Amino acid sequence: MSTATTSTNSEKVLDYFAIFGVPRKLWIEMSELEQKFLQMSWKLHPDNFVNATEQERELSLKRSSELNDAYRTLRDPIARVEYLLGIEGERKEGEKKQQAPPELLEEVFELNESLEELREARASGQDLTGLQARLETAEKSFQEKLGEVDAELQSAAREWDATLTVDSAARKKVMARLNELLNRRSYIRNLVTNVAKELGEV
Amino acid sequence: MAYSEKVVDHYNNPRNVGSLPKEDPNVGTGLVGAPECGDVMKLQMKINPETQVIEEAKFKTFGCGSAIASSSLATEWVKGKTVEEALSIKNTDIVRELSLPPVKIHCSVLAEDAIKAAIGDWKKKHGAEVPATEKASH
Repeated sequence: MSTATTSTNSEKVLDYFAIFGVPRKLWIEMSELEQKFLQMSWKLHPDNFVNATEQERELSLKRSSELNDAYRTLRDPIARVEYLLGIEGERKEGEKKQQAPPELLEEVFELNESLEELREARASGQDLTGLQARLETAEKSFQEKLGEVDAELQSAAREWDATLTVDSAARKKVMARLNELLNRRSYIRNLVTNVAKELGEV
Repeated sequence: MAYSEKVVDHYNNPRNVGSLPKEDPNVGTGLVGAPECGDVMKLQMKINPETQVIEEAKFKTFGCGSAIASSSLATEWVKGKTVEEALSIKNTDIVRELSLPPVKIHCSVLAEDAIKAAIGDWKKKHGAEVPATEKASH
């Protein structure tokens, strides 16, 4: 199992992109990623380590779980952006507090208020068919916003890939944009979930 | 979810829910959010410009129970305090009072930020009226 042991020997912690030997790009060929994942999983399979030392077996298990995490993260376009911003130092859990721009907070606050009005209308036993229609309109509008933010994320992701070889100032700018979009997306996703919950209860 | 008794109490009987006129020169508004969890918190205070005492405080929070409890508690605490006293409230005080678990500490941070933002907004409104010497000391 020389291939497996050489890859498990290295002490260096590889980031998820490096594990798959791909550049830190946000556009990833899915079928290629899947194929690499399957090949590497196969090499790390416990059956291949039956005669290995305990240490080697442990390492292969560790590598295998890392590989799974890496695949799960890179496969998901949103988790991929989040992860990239993390390793690039733009988005560190707990370390750097995320700030939302005031306009976004205003907008989210207002959307939440309108959702609350609908909730109260329901609680006070108002006409349910009318209410349902309003909730459906709200849901459609939130879904549209989610679609918009996803499209913007995609275009920012393409920009990131294009700046990979450009100066760091340009990359910083794209990263800030990606981060902002992720934050916006997380608010809108919440609204989508909440309105769906309301609709489920009507 | 295992919320502490105090959190449940504030959640079920939130104090000072509502809003104050945003345009009132004596009202400071703080709107803050935690994008990671999608919470938004609005905290408003009516401050007497003569005495610097916070005479009224209102909040409205869209978020989890801990975020609501933290902001409800914050409005209770700032009422009757001076601006300086209110600014000394730390998120850790809120954590202690509500026995917030580590995963909910960010809710208390949000409440502290909201207090600071509201007072900041009020100070900005009074920026022109604040004597230069006092302004320089900040």
